[in-house]
Amino acid sequence: MEIRIRGVSKYYFSEGKTIKALDGVDLTIPANQIFTLLGPSGCGKTTLLRCIVGLEAPDTGEISIGDEVVWSKEKNISIPPEKRGLGMVFQTYAIWPHMNVFDNVAYPLQVRNLPKDIIRDKVEKTLRFVRLEGFENRPATKLSGGQQQRVALARALVAEPKVILFDEPLSNLDAKLREETRKELKAFLGKLQITAVYVTHDRIEALALSDTIAIMRAGQIVEVGSPQKIYFDADHRFVADFIGRANLVKATVRAQDADYTVVDCGMGTIACQRRDFAIGSEVTLCLRPEFIRLVRGEGAAGKNVVNGRIESLVFVGEAYEAEIRVGNELLLAKFDSDVNLSAGDAVSFTLDPAHCLLVAI
Amino acid sequence: MDKARAQLTWSLVIIVGFLTVCPVVMLALGSVSEGLTAFGDFTPDKYIEAYTDPALLDVMVNTVIFVLGSSVLATVLALFLAYLNTRTDIPFKFLFKVLSIIPMMIPHLLFSVSWALLLNPSNGMINTVLKSALSLESAPFNIYSLHGMILVEALLDLPIAYLIIAPAMASFDVALEESSRVFGAGTWRTLLRVTLPVLRPAILAAFILGVVRSLASFAVPSVLGMPGRVNVLATHLYEMIALGFATDYGKAAAVGMSVLATSVTLIYVYRALTAESEKYVTIAGRGYRPTMIELGKARIPLFIIVAVLSLFMIVLPVAVLLYTSFVPYTMVPSARAFSLMSLKHWSDVLQDPLSLLALKNSLFLALAGATLGVVLSIFVGYAIVKVKTRASGILESLSFLSFSFPGIVIGVGFMWFFVQTPLYATIWALLIGYVATYLPYGVRPMASAFVQVHAHLEESSLVCGASYLTTMRRIIVPLLIPGIVSAWILMATMFVRELTLSVVLSRPGTEVLAVQILRFADDGLWGKLSALGIIMILISTTLVVLATLVGAQFKAVEGGG
Repeated sequence: MEIRIRGVSKYYFSEGKTIKALDGVDLTIPANQIFTLLGPSGCGKTTLLRCIVGLEAPDTGEISIGDEVVWSKEKNISIPPEKRGLGMVFQTYAIWPHMNVFDNVAYPLQVRNLPKDIIRDKVEKTLRFVRLEGFENRPATKLSGGQQQRVALARALVAEPKVILFDEPLSNLDAKLREETRKELKAFLGKLQITAVYVTHDRIEALALSDTIAIMRAGQIVEVGSPQKIYFDADHRFVADFIGRANLVKATVRAQDADYTVVDCGMGTIACQRRDFAIGSEVTLCLRPEFIRLVRGEGAAGKNVVNGRIESLVFVGEAYEAEIRVGNELLLAKFDSDVNLSAGDAVSFTLDPAHCLLVAI
Repeated sequence: MDKARAQLTWSLVIIVGFLTVCPVVMLALGSVSEGLTAFGDFTPDKYIEAYTDPALLDVMVNTVIFVLGSSVLATVLALFLAYLNTRTDIPFKFLFKVLSIIPMMIPHLLFSVSWALLLNPSNGMINTVLKSALSLESAPFNIYSLHGMILVEALLDLPIAYLIIAPAMASFDVALEESSRVFGAGTWRTLLRVTLPVLRPAILAAFILGVVRSLASFAVPSVLGMPGRVNVLATHLYEMIALGFATDYGKAAAVGMSVLATSVTLIYVYRALTAESEKYVTIAGRGYRPTMIELGKARIPLFIIVAVLSLFMIVLPVAVLLYTSFVPYTMVPSARAFSLMSLKHWSDVLQDPLSLLALKNSLFLALAGATLGVVLSIFVGYAIVKVKTRASGILESLSFLSFSFPGIVIGVGFMWFFVQTPLYATIWALLIGYVATYLPYGVRPMASAFVQVHAHLEESSLVCGASYLTTMRRIIVPLLIPGIVSAWILMATMFVRELTLSVVLSRPGTEVLAVQILRFADDGLWGKLSALGIIMILISTTLVVLATLVGAQFKAVEGGG
């Protein structure tokens, strides 16, 4: 089911100041996708999620889920969370400690007053789906973190909601388990026809899991797009910087031709992916460390060849992380771990114009 | 929702504010007025009278020695026991648990009486035995002295000091000590230079709580101090309002003001210190257990000290009372004493209308007071934990305030209030006073129960489609029940034995158990006193056992999470 959010704002008052947790958010979350709200802590992503689910009431705007308006300031509509028919996985999982696994998962069906045998069937089916069959009578608190997470997922899925919401569900797991659970979650969600809204501050999680990512900052949506679009072709400097490691270099637009936008910067003249900027305007050139490609031998020719000197070199296992000095710029680069280099060496490298991203300052 | 919460919080601020601030205001007003029934004009006369009283200097000196002596002794003993339990291989560690809980079942009044029965100079049992055994001319010990009072008060404050110091010691990061050892310091130097300084906030907190409690203590000074004419502030106040021909509540209020001010100040210092000590000990939880120090040859002698202490604190007092309740008059246990044993005191007490009235009143106060107190505590706990506003902050400070109230002083404050109302000399006056003074004992367990109910547990039920009422019934109430039960039992236990507030507020017809026991003590009716005392201990013990069982259940739920 599609979720439409129009002009939603939410204010908090604290010590005489107004804090805009959400500031006029307009967003359409497409049906049957994994949609991620990504942003630094305090950007309003969790508040937005809680507004969708109904645990917080926005101060302005309208939210509709499918064809139903669940919140509207103007029309004075406010459907309480229990009437919205959604599923949610909380950051703390919110597994009720006084119930066993079965009762936790059966709860949404029990409150809907379904017959007992149907409840038993559905709970069994859902527990099998999350690979927790046989755990029915365990006290919920005696499970491991990953298992608790799956109970929370089963509880969110059991009533077959059209929308499921996740509030940083992996942040309480350790690194290894987080990666496994992430893959599992993607597999589970892939099998279901369901709209999933996922909140996280972890960019790897967002990139790995999502069909669409919305980046948020200070209560506003900055940019929406596929993971590839967000990573390679961000329109905003904040997004490019937030989603991955990037060298941000000040540049001035020198010329626009059919294929490239050419800029001047501390590394010389660089041809970049074409963007509509006026000639002479100040821009930021954004280079990902992994796209700085070494050229063997002296005097290599071609587009965007830059000469520099390695200032430091750190071995991190799967790669070398190098700092390269080019004029006044210090660039972070990532080389394959089999290169034979040491600090102080002069190097030449090329920059593929397709990966030279220009964004406004 | 937010509006309803704000209204709830403010009405709680008004109720709790009334309960805690009213006696203080009345005390202050009383101290500058002419008399209990008519306030009259503002006058500093009572202050002048109270503070120029030549007896006051002696009282002050006694109070300082008594308070500091007992607090230091209690803290040192607690430190010693906590160290032995958490850090050494001393045998029978369950004894420490017992030592920290059991004394709560023995009311202070009865503990003091049992020591009077053992060590009073005229016919204390131990004194009599020693006198004949060593053929001494006079009794070797006199419990009716400052020393005796300090010893008994310290033993009474020991469990609470232990409960503060032991957890801090247990969660102490041993790496701090180990690094000191690595750098060349020996066990003793490490103890003095690292362990004790790091534990300083907890030790100071235990000491200050000891000071507050011994300053408010009335049982020990009245049973052990007054016979030997050793007065401290609490008994000095009591003499002003209860004894002699001219009771003077104004003078008592004037003296009480400074006791109250001292106590409130100390409690706020205590609060700051416990906050700091929590900051100190949160470095724990990295999964390794403290290394146990092997006591070697000292193991058995140290254990004997602990065993003797347990004997003094638990077995002896109860045994003495039980024994005294069966023998016709005070005598050393012997074949003859055993042959004279009878149930006479028990049947006397159970036929004594006044004792039965006291029993009835105390039970009523325990049941009704605890119920009322817990209902109020549920709302206060909810507002403190779940509503984060300025009003809930005020509420928290208010509900903590009465923790510092010395019973007898606050009783005088309530007296000034109740005299103006038809509640005076009724059981309701006691009920209100009890709930006001002991509110923190209900609020604390309720607040921690509410902390346990994370907002997500409630919200996730709503998202699952449950209405607010269903959520209340299936999620919130089941999670709170253990907290409610233990708060109720804790308050009921306090109320069954309540003495310090009752000696001020109780009037003919509203006697309670502790007041009746004190009256038996004044009249020297030790047999009847013991029988009634044992009944009181039985009631409190039953309640504490229930509380521990419920607490264990509570732990099981909590531990799993």
